[in-house]
Amino acid sequence: MLDRLSRLDCLQNQRSAVFKAFASIVAIFALCAFAVAARAQGNYEIQVYGSDTVPPRTTMLELHSNFTANGQRYYIDGQAPTYHAQHETVEITQGINNWSEVGFYIFTSEQSGLGAQWVGDHIRPRVRVPESWRWPVGVSLSTEIGYQRALFSNDTWTWEIRPIIDKASGRWYWAINPAFERTWHGPDVDLGIGFSPAAKISYDFTKQISGGFEYYADYGSITNIASLHDQQQELFPVIDLNVSPKWEINFGVGIGPTAATDHWIVKGIIGRRFDWPKKNN
Amino acid sequence: MATQRGFALPPTPDYRIEIAEIEWELSSKKKIRTAAYSGQIPGRVLQLTEGKPVAIEIVNRLDRPEIVHWHGQWIPPNVDGAVEEGSPMIPAGSSTLIEFTPRPAGLHWYHTHAMANHDLKRGLYTGQAGVLYVAPRLNPGAYDPQQFDQEQFIVLQDWQPFYTASDDGSLMVDYTAASINGRMLGHSEPIRVRLGERVLLQVLNASATLPHWLVLPGHRFQVLALDGAAVPTQAAVDTLRIGLAERITALVTMNQPGVWVLGEAHKDYRDRGMGIVVEYSGQSGKPQESRSGTPRLEKLTWDYCAFGDAVPQSHTPDVTIPLIFTSRFRGHGALDQWMINGKSFPDGSPILLHQGQRHRLVFENRSVDDHPIHLHRHKFELVSVAGKRTSGVNKDVVMVEAGKTVEADLVANNPGDTLFHCHQQDHMDSGFMALFRYA
Repeated sequence: MLDRLSRLDCLQNQRSAVFKAFASIVAIFALCAFAVAARAQGNYEIQVYGSDTVPPRTTMLELHSNFTANGQRYYIDGQAPTYHAQHETVEITQGINNWSEVGFYIFTSEQSGLGAQWVGDHIRPRVRVPESWRWPVGVSLSTEIGYQRALFSNDTWTWEIRPIIDKASGRWYWAINPAFERTWHGPDVDLGIGFSPAAKISYDFTKQISGGFEYYADYGSITNIASLHDQQQELFPVIDLNVSPKWEINFGVGIGPTAATDHWIVKGIIGRRFDWPKKNN
Repeated sequence: MATQRGFALPPTPDYRIEIAEIEWELSSKKKIRTAAYSGQIPGRVLQLTEGKPVAIEIVNRLDRPEIVHWHGQWIPPNVDGAVEEGSPMIPAGSSTLIEFTPRPAGLHWYHTHAMANHDLKRGLYTGQAGVLYVAPRLNPGAYDPQQFDQEQFIVLQDWQPFYTASDDGSLMVDYTAASINGRMLGHSEPIRVRLGERVLLQVLNASATLPHWLVLPGHRFQVLALDGAAVPTQAAVDTLRIGLAERITALVTMNQPGVWVLGEAHKDYRDRGMGIVVEYSGQSGKPQESRSGTPRLEKLTWDYCAFGDAVPQSHTPDVTIPLIFTSRFRGHGALDQWMINGKSFPDGSPILLHQGQRHRLVFENRSVDDHPIHLHRHKFELVSVAGKRTSGVNKDVVMVEAGKTVEADLVANNPGDTLFHCHQQDHMDSGFMALFRYA
């Protein structure tokens, strides 16, 4: 019963209002896409998004912990190496209504020689198609804007738009995130729009344990796809633990086969949901 | 007496129910298209008399077979309206004539008993439901007309269902709209009352999957009957909890002049439309949804035992039948599979009843959901609810809360196959049924 009630708030808004807002936001994003440029979270937040948004009056607090076991060992153009870097990212997502949320990121890095460093911050609004529309797949659209210090990314101001499509069918789940990136400030400004898709497929072994694969890539500019050697390709076998509706736990080990990719990354996500119910009926 | 079609000279029907798709205005802005009875939602109130045979013609104008269940009636299995008991489906485009002798008296209902099989445009997700009121023949004083000044039938329904993920990780059904008597809040004629008037509410929850809580701010409900059966203690409560398929007969004394919303206790449901305006004579203004003293959501409670005998009576059962409810996870993108004693219907053998004997049914809910458990063609008497003893509360549906146990006595006195199931449509569709068979 309580489970149901906690979701009820997601259902009040009028379809027409949602559609208009959704369309407006898509239009704004489209305009931005042709105005500006690059790489977003890199290996600070390694996650394939599902179409779900955080419910209203709910806050999701996540910690992304990523350790690059085998990566870039040297400074390149003043950018710090990733080898044995421990990246901790705090993500705070607030549900707005039944079809939108806003996420905020604080990126940090800790590695030998640099110690613990603040890397940057991003903000990520997201809208979705409400489930009540009964689309055959889940669909949402996320955009992310943010800054990262030049020591960690030569492209300091970046923007990303990420369509999200997913579907759970029986024990199987899949999601695709064909993300496009643009650099606003940095050497990649002239590259235009980059293509960085991500995808996930998983299987529910039990109600609590799901396992599968996550795929992340960066193909470079959409007008000039990079050679395989220069592409980033990473495959993560992952485990998701669904131990409680209030907790989110994800763990994976990534293998990057191309030269441009960190070769081994261990990633983990732990999230806790906080509900802020109304005081009155 | 109960018969199916096949008379050489069928009697003239007393009632006719036409099952067809209709377009229905829940509000001026929200129309739905769904199957309904005789062109309206809910179906018309069928007023029958206890012990007086009735003939009802059912015309199925849908493109699929349908079946109508006479919920709460002690009638033979071939007309009860459940294929599992032997009642035939009504083929698409054809009609049938049902005859039965209504009993027991009280507030009951009629509704489709077709499986939805995960199709949210079928089964109880449609508008196929209506009130069946059986007036007592020999004892019309069950609800003494002198006790009330007006009677209102209140039918709760949820609309535009869709699948969503529940917090417990399984798929569930939710809705975008809700109604009382087929209209969303603010889109029906108010219930007009006068100060001091006693209004008898006959409340039915015809939702496919959701229990509901009703509140009329500042007023109390004196509960007279549950599932059509008078209760020994007519306790007054602030809020009515009405599980799926449950009925509550309650008296409200109108002693708080104003314009109020009789509606769901949860604002989110009211916002979907589950409410109706109660307007006192000479009063005007915006309907009020709450007032100081309205119970807070977290304090909503419902205790069947409050309506039982002041001193619970004990009976020794002849037979004890444990009925354990469990579920099996089938993926985050699937509905759970439901089982009674480890078996999903139609697997497993029928549960045997012995005529004339008192059977103690022990409903043990080992799942994380509440379940409205319904027994066809009989009533059972509650013996204990979550360990609390009671007696005198006779029902055909009982909400068995998650992790709790309810005991109920069934005196087997109506031979024939009898369906036992969770009334939640998606649970029924996923195996939460069993057949009781007289030995």
